[in-house]
Amino acid sequence: MGENILADTLWDVVICGTDLPQCLLALSLSRSDKKVLHIDPNTYYGGSEAALTLQDADEWAARLSTQESNAVFKAPTISRSKSAPNLSTRAYSLALGPQFIHARSELLSQLVSSRAAQQVDFLAVGSFFISKAASDGQRHSMIRIPSTREDVFTTTALSMKAKRALMKFLKFVLNYEGSENADTWKPHAEAPLAQFVEDHFKMDLELRSYIIALTLSIDGKITTQDGLAVIHRHLTSMGVFGPGFAAVYPKWGGLAEIAQVSCRAGAVGGAVYMLGTDIKDTKTVDSISEVELTSGDKIKTRLIVKGNGGAEDGTDISRLVAVIGSSLKALFTATVEGAPIPAVVVVAFPADTLTAADGTANKSPVYLFAHSSDTGECPSGQSVLYLTTSQSPHSKEVLGLALEKFLGSGDEPETPQALYTLCYDQSGGQLPGRQADDLNMVLPSLPLSLAFDDTVLKPVHDAWKHVMGETAVDAEYMTFPERNGGMDDNDDDAYE
Amino acid sequence: MADQGGSQHGIARTSRVRTEEQRRQDVEKIAKYRDLDERVRKELSQKRYTPETFQLTSKLLQLNPEYYTVWNARRRLLIYGLFSKPSAGSSPSTALPSSSLTATTTTSSDASSSSLSTATPPAPDPPRAGKSGTTADEGDGSPEQAEESKKAEQDNDLELIKQELGFTIPLLLASPKCYWIWSYRLWILQQAIQRLPIPIARRIWEEELGLASKMLIKDRRNFHAWGYRRHVVEQLESPELGGTSLVESEFKYTTEMIKVDLSNFSAWHNRSKLIPRLLDERKADDTARETFLNEEFGQIFEAINVGPEDQSLWYYHHFLMLNLVSPVGHPTIAPALTRETRITYVIREIEQIKELLEDYDDVQLIYEALIDYTLFLCQFLERKPDGSERAELVSWLDKVKKLDPMRSGRWADLERDCGLVEERPRMMTMAS
Repeated sequence: MGENILADTLWDVVICGTDLPQCLLALSLSRSDKKVLHIDPNTYYGGSEAALTLQDADEWAARLSTQESNAVFKAPTISRSKSAPNLSTRAYSLALGPQFIHARSELLSQLVSSRAAQQVDFLAVGSFFISKAASDGQRHSMIRIPSTREDVFTTTALSMKAKRALMKFLKFVLNYEGSENADTWKPHAEAPLAQFVEDHFKMDLELRSYIIALTLSIDGKITTQDGLAVIHRHLTSMGVFGPGFAAVYPKWGGLAEIAQVSCRAGAVGGAVYMLGTDIKDTKTVDSISEVELTSGDKIKTRLIVKGNGGAEDGTDISRLVAVIGSSLKALFTATVEGAPIPAVVVVAFPADTLTAADGTANKSPVYLFAHSSDTGECPSGQSVLYLTTSQSPHSKEVLGLALEKFLGSGDEPETPQALYTLCYDQSGGQLPGRQADDLNMVLPSLPLSLAFDDTVLKPVHDAWKHVMGETAVDAEYMTFPERNGGMDDNDDDAYE
Repeated sequence: MADQGGSQHGIARTSRVRTEEQRRQDVEKIAKYRDLDERVRKELSQKRYTPETFQLTSKLLQLNPEYYTVWNARRRLLIYGLFSKPSAGSSPSTALPSSSLTATTTTSSDASSSSLSTATPPAPDPPRAGKSGTTADEGDGSPEQAEESKKAEQDNDLELIKQELGFTIPLLLASPKCYWIWSYRLWILQQAIQRLPIPIARRIWEEELGLASKMLIKDRRNFHAWGYRRHVVEQLESPELGGTSLVESEFKYTTEMIKVDLSNFSAWHNRSKLIPRLLDERKADDTARETFLNEEFGQIFEAINVGPEDQSLWYYHHFLMLNLVSPVGHPTIAPALTRETRITYVIREIEQIKELLEDYDDVQLIYEALIDYTLFLCQFLERKPDGSERAELVSWLDKVKKLDPMRSGRWADLERDCGLVEERPRMMTMAS
């Protein structure tokens, strides 16, 4: 790459960082004639949503330990089981962004219309379970959360009356925007959903835990308004791509793969990519930013787009990533005739079901995402678990407890073991993106919700509009024709 | 041509809206079609049963699968040309020389077709038609040669059958309710029974059952597919295919389909049809039959509990209730139930359904069922509704009248028939 090209070009935009929002911006510009320079201080794509080999994870953890305290990721710890065989680092692809994507998500529509979806293998996300202690209080067992009429019919975990209550609620949610139903919940929009369903649907504690689990609410306190919207999305996503599942997960590391594919599309469209590069200094000259990169290159650009880094406000989470020395095959089964084998399964531990050594119970739920080796994140015969809970002084202990209960709840003769664990805290930015001034824009980082949240798509669209200026045609946003002589087969079965 | 708007069970039908450009293209297509049609008719009228003619029929049928004359011609082409001849000696003047017959496959970009991979791909190699025709004529007559030639014939026929099954698949995907395609397919499958050794024929029919299942995943309420499934199962159970009863697995299949979607008339209907044979084969005694009936009641009630607005569920419940109150001598699930037991169960069902009203107070079908079953009970007990029953019937009918005002005439009739309305003599009054 000749220095001249960098220095001589008046760039329309310099995008900093390859977190997903920035990558989606690159995708959106990939068929335009805008000159895009996309840089990232890391030596890999994906930023906060990257997928890491074991060696990557070691390096990542080491780097974090030397960083400032307001970084997005903090307090990483890695441990390897002594009895584990030497794990081949490149056989693993641990996702920092294991969010799955609902079928009705706007992100999927954009990926399809931009043709990026063709490059992604989407796997099915299967059932949601609740894990709770059996009557002896020790061993946990898992109960499938019913989310369709047929699920409610099949489950043996609810009484007839509880089933009727659940059915009424599911019907209510499916039509929650209708005027009659809206009149019922709008007065309680900011109240906790748990309270709303107790008051209006006479749901007991157990049934309420099912509902909250469906929302994947990190602190368990999701509002009525947000909770109904999330459950509505889940219910209306059921069966859209085939029987028995509501969401999909990209193979090879979740959102990291979307980031990769988007950047690839950007590059094919002419964008210049520089990894291991950051902005060192900027100054404004005649409404143009003059930027010095850490590579030493000096460039001129009309616009700089950055992510908002480690924001102070918002939810903080603790995560535990565990590589398990068992395929957990019994977990990944199709539940109805004609449904695909799921690659991801969700297990929720409601609040107050895990007791720490000092007797305190978990104030927040713990969500465990189990990934089979079909995700490409580990070799076959193993599986990867992603546990998430609200950050607190107890959170790491709580995560460890949930892991222990989960591994002990199976029916296998030998309890599966964790071969490797990676633990860290992550702070979430829920601040909206902002246009700092005409020359600078900030894209929000992804909210820490466990299912992909479409709210980040609007700021990306706004940034695209700014770059495109007068040539922006909203109807053509993220809508591209097939490239001639396309790289991959035109595979209509992208969602298999 | 089934090109109409609208949908069946939510599965969209193709519809056509034409621009000028499309109209021009259509005119061209029509000309090509007419040309093809003429050529095929000419060949057939001259009895030229050649591979070329065969390929022409392929093209024509792809354009118009409803053209049953051409399907019949294709059958003739197979019997007189391509399938192996029945035993030695005959060599019709219209026999084909050996030549390649590449199956004309069409690609289907329909996403679901890739999951509908049939295990019967079209034959890439030429069938050894000529060879089998000639070896049958060679009059050596040694047992080894006869057996060899028989095997060659069966191989030939197997390839043809697979090829023809493969040919119909894309046509079925495009026109899943076209009788002619299904009928041709069945004819080919019948040829398999006639021409191939039993284990091979059986495998082909088992694959057919798999196809029927896949069609039902694509549209689980397609009653053609259910009827077809029953036919395939019947063949698999027949002695011609060395079959044994499939009633247990078919019964289980209806259970699985119901778990996918409770609202499936055809699945519940199929289930009801399988029950008599199921119980016979299990050699179910009276206790087992009673248990079975109660399990069915339990299951349908669980379904109604979550889907009380679903008519298919009430139909099945009704079917079970008839098993209780039917006159003696009528074949039923548990014919040996005593009168007292029957009464107990009818009352149990009515009481259970009443509980639903706690949470579902505006579902018409619940009230209708309560009315029907209370009347059943009274008929069975050979008496009219008593005081409290009358009060209940009146209140349920009131509800139904409010929920379904359009059929007020029907409800008024029902009221009268139940004797719930006092008959007053009509009087003329003088205006004052």
